Amino acid sequence: MALLILTVAPLLAALASMAVRKKIMALEIIAMIVAPLEFAAAAAIATEVYREGHSEYGAYLAAGPLETVVLITVALVGLAAACYSIGYLREEVRKQIIGFSRVRQYFVLFHFFLMAMFFAIITVNPIIMWIAIEATTLSTAFLISFYNKASSMEAAWKYLIINSIGLLLGFFGTLLFLTPATDSGADRFIDWHALGESASSMNPTLAKVAFIFVLIGYGTKVGLSPMHTWLPDAHSKAPSPISALLSGSLLNVAMLAILKFKIVADIAISASFSRSLMIYFGVVTITIPAFIIITQKNYKRLFAYSSIEHMGIITLGFGFGGLGTFGALLHMIYHSLAKSVLFFSAGNILLKYGSTKMIKVREVLSVLPVTGVLLLMGFLTITGMPPFGIFLTEVYILSAGIADHMPVVIVVLFMLLLVFAGFLRHIVDMTLSGNSSTDTKPGTIGESNYLTVAPPIFLLTLLVVGGFYLPAPVKSLITSAASLING
Amino acid sequence: MAHLNQQTLLVFATLIFAPAVFLHLTNKNTSAVRLYMVQSSAIAALLILSSFDRFSPLIAIAIVATVAVKIFIAPYFFYGLIRRHQLTFSVTKYLNTPVSLLVIAALLALTQSQFFDALAVLSTSGEKLLRLAFATILISLFLSINRKGALSQMLGILSLENGIVAFALFAGLEQSPGLQLGITFNILIWVIIATVFASMIFRKFGSLDVTAMKKLKG
Repeated sequence: MALLILTVAPLLAALASMAVRKKIMALEIIAMIVAPLEFAAAAAIATEVYREGHSEYGAYLAAGPLETVVLITVALVGLAAACYSIGYLREEVRKQIIGFSRVRQYFVLFHFFLMAMFFAIITVNPIIMWIAIEATTLSTAFLISFYNKASSMEAAWKYLIINSIGLLLGFFGTLLFLTPATDSGADRFIDWHALGESASSMNPTLAKVAFIFVLIGYGTKVGLSPMHTWLPDAHSKAPSPISALLSGSLLNVAMLAILKFKIVADIAISASFSRSLMIYFGVVTITIPAFIIITQKNYKRLFAYSSIEHMGIITLGFGFGGLGTFGALLHMIYHSLAKSVLFFSAGNILLKYGSTKMIKVREVLSVLPVTGVLLLMGFLTITGMPPFGIFLTEVYILSAGIADHMPVVIVVLFMLLLVFAGFLRHIVDMTLSGNSSTDTKPGTIGESNYLTVAPPIFLLTLLVVGGFYLPAPVKSLITSAASLING
Repeated sequence: MAHLNQQTLLVFATLIFAPAVFLHLTNKNTSAVRLYMVQSSAIAALLILSSFDRFSPLIAIAIVATVAVKIFIAPYFFYGLIRRHQLTFSVTKYLNTPVSLLVIAALLALTQSQFFDALAVLSTSGEKLLRLAFATILISLFLSINRKGALSQMLGILSLENGIVAFALFAGLEQSPGLQLGITFNILIWVIIATVFASMIFRKFGSLDVTAMKKLKG
């Protein structure tokens, strides 16, 4: 039942939001009813999966440990983004940046976006998953161009075209993976289970070609380099809560698609094939943004490039396998929380300073005391400083590669150092420096409203606590998911 | 599609492949849309022919939806875009026509090489068809990359999708009618959204030339 709620609730919320006339409060109430409901449904699914190993509704919706890990992250970031959106949009309405119709458009698309992500995670059919992931592109394109500026339009077009091409290549790979199941005369509605069962009879070379297409196709959506070019533009031009959802949730959903096909490919061929490809893409995806981060001038783009880098680390973890897989799954969760904190902080800074240029943002700690602390803590977390969780997951991932891929580990360590140095410079300038001749200090000091700080504080608390103490059910789910991926 | 002989299928494969090549050569937007219609008609005909041995009301609905979206609705939106913004001629490409033709020839040669033997195993009797469909995929992909016009990029993506559908049909990987409907609905939404975006881009930048979009920095 919880699986059904996850798909129906956001749909109803989108339809109800469409019907709202004039009252922004009504849109906020809908969001505040549905987002906790979705999170409760996700938690119920997680409990069921923890106890029984899986959760299903009819023949079409199901979740195992792997899906649950992603589901919980999406629901959690979705809940935080819904709360934050209310505070963020209230402030934009107050400043007359947007009006009622824009707020309604935002919430309608927000709910559709969440529905598409939930559906992509829990559908049992690979083609429907592809349709749902494509639906995320379509629902978010208008959110990226939300402010109707030339630059956001450009970012949205780039996003639409590059992702559509990528996803079509992913679709082609998906069709190739369906070959053995279709040949066996099975029902045309092929689920992941049937796909896994028929994988051993798949032509190995065909399986390799299919996995390459899937990795490049869905990898475009994940932001793997060199297909990442749309990501910094889209993530930086979208409203901040959407940037958090794009970075903290959507990338994980696309990664889930790759992982599901990896499991199938590993049955058809040796796991070393998919692993070596993932190591290659992982290293490239860490390296390219590491150099760009240093020279970045826009803080939202800085966070977007950081998302690319972290997707590289996660991909590398899955490539190394073993403990690396466990680390990568845990890294997905920590990264989602940390990046949401950073994008919410970015939203608060943008509201106050009216610019995304780092040179125009100074003394955040004194102008926005809470956001300043959130930004600093977010920076320490995202760059993998001890004792935060990401430090631990990076240790897991790199230690998994030491035995067989020492040169890769050394290169990645150097890149992580580079990222830290780049981030440190930018964050120190933004939070502590105040004597720049070009700084533009905002008129008032203090946060916009409590709804713009409560969600990131909540996520940061989870992140800090989660770094020290991982509850047994969460650990169990991640361990089960990791063993599924490792085969 | 076992009941159809290879020659008939080859004609359809050519009708799908040739428009992808001609899309690179044409400079008129209306001609490009017509070429897409020809390609889509061939796909629709293949879908109809492939459904003869498994006909059901749902399959009929899926075919009608495909025909409606690809042959009527999508071109209707594109013609509307061309009329509204007087986009008679498509904007330039990155590589000129002779170089583009060379690239197309190279891509075609690549699909005939042993690199793609792995894909040919999907249908030993229809190997030529698969290679031609795969060439359509690559050439359409090249169209999306090589063209500077937003409309041409959209047509390239839709042609790429047609190539994938053709490949699936030739390889016997047809999906259930329900899934086909889902995919068609997805394409419909994509066409609507992409056309709306193209209009918005024209209003903002005064052109559908994507190289005119230089507002993103950093």
